[in-house]
Amino acid sequence: MPATDYQGSFLGRISIRRNQVMAMEPNSHEQEVEDLELFQKHVSDRFSDLLSPPSDDSSPSDPLLSIAWLRKLLDMFLCCEAEFKAVLIMDRDPSQMTRPPLDRLVPELLERVVKALDICNALCLGVDSVRNVQKLAEIAVAALEQRPIGDGQARRAKKALNSLITAMMLEDKDGASAKSTERAWSFGRRGTSSTSAQKDRTAGLFRSPSCNMAKNWSAAKQIHAMSSNLVPPRGAEASGLASPVYIMSTIFVFVMWTLVAAIPCQERNGLGTHFPVPRQLAWAQPMIGLQEKIAEEWKKKEKKGSAGLLEEMQRLEKIGQSLIDFADGFQFPVEAERLEEVKTQVEGLADICRKMEEGLVPLQQQIREVFHRVVRSRAEFLDVLDQAGRLTAPTV
Amino acid sequence: MEEHETGVTTYEGEQHVVAAAQHILKALAASKNINDGLRKTLLDVETHLSSMSSRLITERRNIKGAEDEVKSWEANHSMIWDSGLRESSEYLNAVREIETVTRSLQSLCVSENWKQKELLHRAEGVLQIAMSRLEEELVHILLQHTQFFEPEFMSFHSDRVDMVFDESFVSAEDEAIEEASRRNGDCSQSEFGIIDLVHADVIPDLKDIANVMFASKYHQEFCLAFITSRRHALQEYLVILGMKTLSIENVLKMEWDCLNSKMKKWMWAMKIIIKVYLASEKRLCKQILGHLGLVYQSCFTEISKGFVMPLLNFGEAIAMGTHGPERLFRLLDMYEVLENLAVDVDILFFDESSCFLRHEFHKLVRSIGNTVRSTFLAFENAIATYRSAKGFPGGGIHPLTRYVMNYIKTLTEYRDTLCLLLADESLVSVPHSTEHGTSDLTFYPMACQLRSITTTLESNLRNKSKLYRDVALQHIFMMNNLHYIVQKVKSSELSQFFGDEWLRQHTGKFQHEARSYERVTWSSVLSMISEGSSSTCALSLKASLKKRCTGFSIAFEEVYRNQTGWLIPNHQLREDVQISISQKLVHAYWTFIGKNSSGIGEKWIKYSVDDLESFILDLFGGSSRSLRDHQRRK
Repeated sequence: MPATDYQGSFLGRISIRRNQVMAMEPNSHEQEVEDLELFQKHVSDRFSDLLSPPSDDSSPSDPLLSIAWLRKLLDMFLCCEAEFKAVLIMDRDPSQMTRPPLDRLVPELLERVVKALDICNALCLGVDSVRNVQKLAEIAVAALEQRPIGDGQARRAKKALNSLITAMMLEDKDGASAKSTERAWSFGRRGTSSTSAQKDRTAGLFRSPSCNMAKNWSAAKQIHAMSSNLVPPRGAEASGLASPVYIMSTIFVFVMWTLVAAIPCQERNGLGTHFPVPRQLAWAQPMIGLQEKIAEEWKKKEKKGSAGLLEEMQRLEKIGQSLIDFADGFQFPVEAERLEEVKTQVEGLADICRKMEEGLVPLQQQIREVFHRVVRSRAEFLDVLDQAGRLTAPTV
Repeated sequence: MEEHETGVTTYEGEQHVVAAAQHILKALAASKNINDGLRKTLLDVETHLSSMSSRLITERRNIKGAEDEVKSWEANHSMIWDSGLRESSEYLNAVREIETVTRSLQSLCVSENWKQKELLHRAEGVLQIAMSRLEEELVHILLQHTQFFEPEFMSFHSDRVDMVFDESFVSAEDEAIEEASRRNGDCSQSEFGIIDLVHADVIPDLKDIANVMFASKYHQEFCLAFITSRRHALQEYLVILGMKTLSIENVLKMEWDCLNSKMKKWMWAMKIIIKVYLASEKRLCKQILGHLGLVYQSCFTEISKGFVMPLLNFGEAIAMGTHGPERLFRLLDMYEVLENLAVDVDILFFDESSCFLRHEFHKLVRSIGNTVRSTFLAFENAIATYRSAKGFPGGGIHPLTRYVMNYIKTLTEYRDTLCLLLADESLVSVPHSTEHGTSDLTFYPMACQLRSITTTLESNLRNKSKLYRDVALQHIFMMNNLHYIVQKVKSSELSQFFGDEWLRQHTGKFQHEARSYERVTWSSVLSMISEGSSSTCALSLKASLKKRCTGFSIAFEEVYRNQTGWLIPNHQLREDVQISISQKLVHAYWTFIGKNSSGIGEKWIKYSVDDLESFILDLFGGSSRSLRDHQRRK
C-alpha cells in the first residue's frame, strides 16, 4: 500500500504542528513569523533531500527522475501541501482570505490547482504508456534470456525493441494524442479498404494507448499558465501570509513541471523554458538546483527528440538500441565475449522491467492520491472563502 | 536454402555414425563374454539410439513440412484467415507441429548435441515467423470483425423538470411541473444487454490463435496486440457515442446550459458503457482467453482502464463545482445513475488488478453524494437569503413559494437516495419500520430538512408580507401562501414527510390569517351598522342613521375598490373567505336595514342586500373595480 509509505511522515508533522498551533497565542505575530520560517525550512530541507539524498551505504540513493525518485517527490509534495494548509487555514480567522493580498492570491492559487488536476490526469495516462513500453521490454527480456540464443529469439527481441523505440519516439513527437485519435477513427471503420488497413496493420499496434485528454490540451501550456502570474511577494507582504502561498504555488509548478518532463504527456513543446525563481530566496535554493539539472537534461533530450526524462525510460532506450544492433547482426553461434556483454545488458533490461513493474502502478496511484488530496484542499479553501464571504456579505 | 542443404548432408553423415554404433552395440551384446546386466544395458542403449535417430528423422521431416507451410505464406500478401477455412486450419496445424517439435527438442537439449541444437534453432526461427504472422492475423481479424453497436439516443434524457431559480420563475409553473414530474421508471433496463463486439463467427479463430500463441510462450505478444486492438475499438465507441474528453478546467468554467446537456449525455453514455460495452468486452476477453486462467481479467483491465478514467474524471469535475439549487436534480440523477452502476462495476472489476478502478468509481459515488448533500443543504440558505427587489401586487402566491414547494415536491421522487445521503450525515438514528411494516417518514433526517425548509420559506414570506402597507393585505398574502404550502403538502408524497400534526398546525395558521384579515378589514365597516353605535340621542337619530348609512357605503366602496384588485387564486379558498364575509356582513346589513329603513328612507340605502352579496363575490378577483362604474352601468 503506497499510502503507508509517507503517511507516517506527514501525519507526524501535522500532529506536531497542531500541537504548536494549540499552544500558541492565536494570531500572535511573532508566532506567525516563526511558523512561516519553519515552513520555509521544511520545504528547503525536503528539497535538499531530493537534490542530494542523505548517503546511506546500505541502500544506494535513487537516481534523479527515476520512478522511485518521483515517488519521493510526490511524498514531499503531499507533506508540503499538508503543512501549507496547516499554516494558512488552521486556527485562522477566515476573513483574512478576503483581505489583500490573500483575496487575490488564494483565488490565483486555486486556479493553479485546477490546472494541476488536469496535469495529474494526463500523467496517469502517461504512466499507462510507460507500462506499454515496459511490456515490450519484457518480451525482449523473455526472448534474450533463452539459452542458447537462436535466430528466432533474436528476431523476436528485435521486433519488440523496434516497437519500443518507435513507441517512445511517437510518444514524444505527437504527444500520442492527435494521431491516435485519428487512428482510432480509421481503425476498423466499416468501409475502410482492407489494403490500407493491411499496410497499417502493425504500424500502430505497439503505439501506446492514446492519451485521452481533451483536444488541444497541452501540458506545456498548462505549466506555462500556472507560472505566468507567479510573482514573489515584496516588501511587507514578504513576511506575511503571501509568502507561504507563493512557496506552495512554486512547489505546485515545480512538481508538475518535473513530472511532465519525466512522464509522457500530451503536448510538451516548449517545456524547456523553465519558470524563474528568485535566487535570493533561501528556501528555494535546492529547488533551483534541481530545476537547473532537469532543464539541462531536457535540453539534451529535446534535440534528440526522444521520450521523456524518466530515468528508466532513458536507460531502456540506450540498452534497447544496443540490443537492436546485436540482433541485427545476429549470427549463430555468438562468440562468448559478446554473449557475456549481451547477458549483462539483458540483466539490465530485466532490472528496469522489474523496477517498472514494482513502481509504475504505485506511482500512478500516488498521482491519483495527489489528485484527490488537491481536490479536497481546494474544497477546504472554498469553504473558508465561503465562510468569509458570508461574514462580510452585506445583509440586506 | 543453403542451410537446408547442409542440414540434409549432415543428416546423412549422422545416420551412418548412428548405424555403425548400433551395429557395434549389437555385436557386443551378442558376445558371450559379458554378463546379463551389461548385455541389457548395451541393448537399452542400442534401442535408445535407434529410437532417437528415428525421432530426429521424423522431427526433421515435420519441421520441413511446417517450415514450407509457414514460409509459403510469407511471400503471399493475402491474409490467411481471409483465404478460407482450409488455409487457416492447415496453417494452424503447421504451427502446432512446429510448436510440438520445438518443445520436444527443448526437452532433449540437455545434452550438448550440436545437431539437435541446430535443429532447435531452426524450429524456433520458423516458430518466430509464424508467431509474428499470427499476431498480424489477430489484429486483422479484430479489425475486420469488430461490430459497432450504435445505440439510439435512448429514452434516458431525464424527463424530470429543469428548475431555474431566477426572477421569472418560468419553469416553476405548476402545469409544467405536473407534466414533467412523472418519472420514467427503469424501463430502459431491458434495453441493455451484452452484445457481440466482435462477430461471433471469428471467436473460435481468435481462440485458436490465442491457444497456439500461449502454447508457444508468445502470450505477451498476444496480449499486447489484443489489448491495443481492443483499446482502439473502445475509443471508436466513444466517437460513436459522441463523447469528447473535457478538461476539468473547462468543465468548471462551463455555462450551465452546456454543462447540463453534457451531464445528461454523460449519464446516458455511462450506462451504455458500463452495462453494454464493458460487460460485452469482458465477455469477449473471457470467450477468447477464459480457459487460460485469470489472464482474461488482467487483459480486460488493461483495455478498459484508459477508457474509464476520463469518464470518471468528468464526474470528479462535476463533484468539484459549486452548484446552485437548480442543479440539484441533475446531480441527484447522476448520483442515482452511479449508484445503479456500482454493482456492475464491482462485478466487472472484481480482482486485484482492477481494484484501482473499482475504488475510483466508489470514490466518485461518494464525491457526488457529498456534492448532492451540500447543494441540498445550501438550498435552505438560498431561500433564507433570497431577496426580491420587485414588489408583488395583489397578495397572491409568491413565485418563491411555488418554486420552493414544487422543488421539494420533486425531491420526493428522489426520496430513497436523499434519505440515504442525509442519513449519513445526521446523528439522529433513522427509526426502523414499525410493526405494521411501514416506516414513519416524519422522523427521517430528510423530513426534518424539508420541514426546516418550509419554516425558512415561511419566515422569508413573513418578511416579504411586511412590504405591503395594508395590514389586511399582509394577512391575505400569508393566508394564500400558507394555504398553497398546505395544499402542496397534502396533495403529494410530501404529506408522508410532514405528517398530520404539521398539517393540522399549518391549516390552523392560514385559517388564523383569514380571521385576522376579516377583523382588520371588516370590523370597522361593520361597526358603522352594528347595534352598539346606534344608541345616541333621539334627536340626532335620523341624522346619525343617515351618516352611518353613507359611512358604510363609502367604507364598503373603498374596500371593494381595493380588494377586488387583490387575489385569492384558489377558488375554494376564495369562496370560503367570501362566504365568511357574507355571513357576517350581509347578516348585519340585513338586520340594520330591516330595523332602520323606515327611519331613513330608501334613498339613503344605496345598496340592497342582494347587491352586497353579489359585490362580495367580486372581491379577490385580481382586477381592481370601482362601484361607481357599477352604478353607471346600472
